[in-house]
Amino acid sequence: MKQTKKTVTLLLTVFLVLATLLSACGGGKNAAENGGSANAGQGNSGANSTESTDTIDISKEVKLKMLLVGGKPVDYEEVFGELNKLLKEKINATVEAEFLDWSDWTQKYPLKFAANEDFDIAYTANWAFYNDQAIRGGFLELTEEMLAKYTPKTWEALPAAAWDQAKVSGKVYMVPQNSNEVVDKVVLIREDLRKKYNLEPVNSPETYAAYLKTIAANEKGMNAFGAKPGDGWKWHELDEVLLEQQNNWKVVDPNVPFAFKMDDPSGKVFNVYDTPEFTELLKYYKDLVDNGVWSKNVISYKNDVWQDMKAGKFASRAQNLGTLAFNVAEQRRDKPEYEMAVVDLTPDKMKSAAVSTQNGMAIHATSKNPERALMLIDLLQNDKEIHDLTMYGIVGKHYEPVGDDQFTPGPSSTNYTGFSNWGWNSLLNRTDTTYPKEADEMLNQWQEHVYHYPLETFVFDDSKVKNEVSNLGNVMLRYAIPLEYGLIQDIEKGQADLIKQLQAAGIDKVGAEMQSQVDAFLAAQK
Amino acid sequence: MKNQGFFSDLKKYRALLLMLTPAVLFFLLFAYVPMAGIVLAFKQFNYQGGIFGSPWNGLENFRFFMESGDAWRVTRNTALYNIAFIIVNNLLQIVTAILLFEVAGKWFRKVTQTVLFLPYFISWVVVGAIAYNLFNYDVGTLNVMLRSIGLGPIDIYNTAAYWPLILIVVSAWKALGYGSIMYLAAITSIDTEMYEAAEIDGANIFQRILKITVPNLMPTVIILFLLAIGNIFRGDFGMFYNMVGNNGLLFSSTDVIDTYVFRSLTTSNEIGMSAAAGFYQSILGFATILLANYAVRKYDKDRALF
Repeated sequence: MKQTKKTVTLLLTVFLVLATLLSACGGGKNAAENGGSANAGQGNSGANSTESTDTIDISKEVKLKMLLVGGKPVDYEEVFGELNKLLKEKINATVEAEFLDWSDWTQKYPLKFAANEDFDIAYTANWAFYNDQAIRGGFLELTEEMLAKYTPKTWEALPAAAWDQAKVSGKVYMVPQNSNEVVDKVVLIREDLRKKYNLEPVNSPETYAAYLKTIAANEKGMNAFGAKPGDGWKWHELDEVLLEQQNNWKVVDPNVPFAFKMDDPSGKVFNVYDTPEFTELLKYYKDLVDNGVWSKNVISYKNDVWQDMKAGKFASRAQNLGTLAFNVAEQRRDKPEYEMAVVDLTPDKMKSAAVSTQNGMAIHATSKNPERALMLIDLLQNDKEIHDLTMYGIVGKHYEPVGDDQFTPGPSSTNYTGFSNWGWNSLLNRTDTTYPKEADEMLNQWQEHVYHYPLETFVFDDSKVKNEVSNLGNVMLRYAIPLEYGLIQDIEKGQADLIKQLQAAGIDKVGAEMQSQVDAFLAAQK
Repeated sequence: MKNQGFFSDLKKYRALLLMLTPAVLFFLLFAYVPMAGIVLAFKQFNYQGGIFGSPWNGLENFRFFMESGDAWRVTRNTALYNIAFIIVNNLLQIVTAILLFEVAGKWFRKVTQTVLFLPYFISWVVVGAIAYNLFNYDVGTLNVMLRSIGLGPIDIYNTAAYWPLILIVVSAWKALGYGSIMYLAAITSIDTEMYEAAEIDGANIFQRILKITVPNLMPTVIILFLLAIGNIFRGDFGMFYNMVGNNGLLFSSTDVIDTYVFRSLTTSNEIGMSAAAGFYQSILGFATILLANYAVRKYDKDRALF
């Protein structure tokens, strides 16, 4: 009998193990509920009671979890320790951040949602799965009442347009940043080399081509232009400058080749690859590559463009103003023998303002403390003390404040940087005194040219044509990228092939769907 | 106590059963439990519903792959590459194993084995970087050598035709050590009396290899072949992605199902569609393994897997 008992116990154990496995896979919800600490019930009751009273009940202490992208800063413990002291006092809560490193955040980020892990706040952005997760139900919808009640300062400070831009199918899912960024792309050049060869100042596509070709012809062991098309971006890295900005176009969604003219009130979308402007640009690129401006193996290039440029292997790259300005600051610090300059190739064209969803913070759909999470976001964005601490670190160590709106980096500034605290950018942001002045001036000049167009906040919802969108992306990588980088000898035939392949992949269906969404969007504005 | 057959068996073989448990648990956990996730291939996934609660959408998820016009090309590439890998790799491994076995010096054998085994541990990311440094147009070792002897450089990264050869060679290089050790183990387990008898009968080394070693290796070869053929429609993503990357010029001869699906779906991030592609590969793989096993059974019943 003893043996039977033993075996029965053994069998039971096996079954129990199996049952746990199955339930863990079946319902992520259970796991999340178990994972939540003792305060799980409190959050809900708090939400219910708030409707009747105006004061917010924060008597119960809560622990919040926040998902950020970027590497974990070295001095995270110290800064967030300070932060938690302040938070404990102000909203009776503490926060713990989880960092998704740049190397694989695009894979991990959606998984965090798919597995329904236990977290309350997530960094998000139009380039970081915002629409995607909002459509799939990963974020909590933020109603006006909630925002007015729990994020009163932000609700006040952010212009109505910013909230409008954050809407996905009419609903807000994020607290967007508060900033008047301009998002045009510019190029970084080696000013010392330009002077060495007595070239004209670079300020247009033509002068840029002259610069690139001269470098390619004279500087041995250096590529005039550095790019990394192999990482999956479906456009030439100069397209935003030379195709979009140059022609005052705006690409609707970088995953499909459709654009509209910024000043076209009817918002007609068209296939970018099927335009005379694109044909002209192909000739421009072909001329560059025939002169050896970039490597023949550019698509297989595996290093980091900026690091190689800093090492003197490239003489130019294209990126947005902010990134390149920091590059210049870094060069002045580490490589003073070089002289780099940020130049705008399309200075007279219409500039477009960053949409507010460029950075933002959202609440996880299954968060148990959405109220406290919102209050935290409000403090991060609009409480001077907390904003300074979370953006710049500890005074004397990571930064020194200069007046009310500037700062200089402190001795260990590199130990608290490099992650997405831009999610709570606001008008309280300080500017870096070492930030190149010319970049600031450029930005100020742009502000005057900012053009607000009716489709500024339009977002394409691809759920009805996702098969076609997937296939179009594939065609762009396979046919458009080699064509644009000049690796196909006969560009006319290459362009015809590209258009034919796009047709086969269903471009017309996507175009029709996009146009109908644009039309509906414009009609709703009137 | 006779009527308690099951439990007394359980007790009698408890040591063996215990040893079996980890393997059974492993397959339950990582192969059978996740199999339920196949339903995702037929669903429009959303977070509220999760895997089982999301709405059904029929064969919608399979449409992207079938309508792309590329399904045939990538399926063909995947199968052809895998067939080439199976044949070339196994042949090289068997030859290497036999040679190592026949070589007398113990030290030489050990050192050779170790050196052959090394590539197996190099990650594909590193192999991709090595390949780039060998083959790139401007400063690649190969082209620098060609230029120095007065020949023109070859533009490997823009020419699809070179890649089947490169991939097969790299795959063989990486798998050689691991496979040959497996075959070497099989050879060492062959009864040495047979070799002694053959020697006494005056058989030379080639006769010994062809009449004793090779026939005795056949069961191992067939089992490994059957196991490999089930994966014939699964491209080695690590290899193809790190060697070729997003280089569109090479896709005509290097694109396999896995890289194609990866490229299409990283932007749309549609879990259902990747599940559908995986399901498609599994079905094809299942059919092939059934066919292959049937063929083996026809030829020799004892050597089939089932």
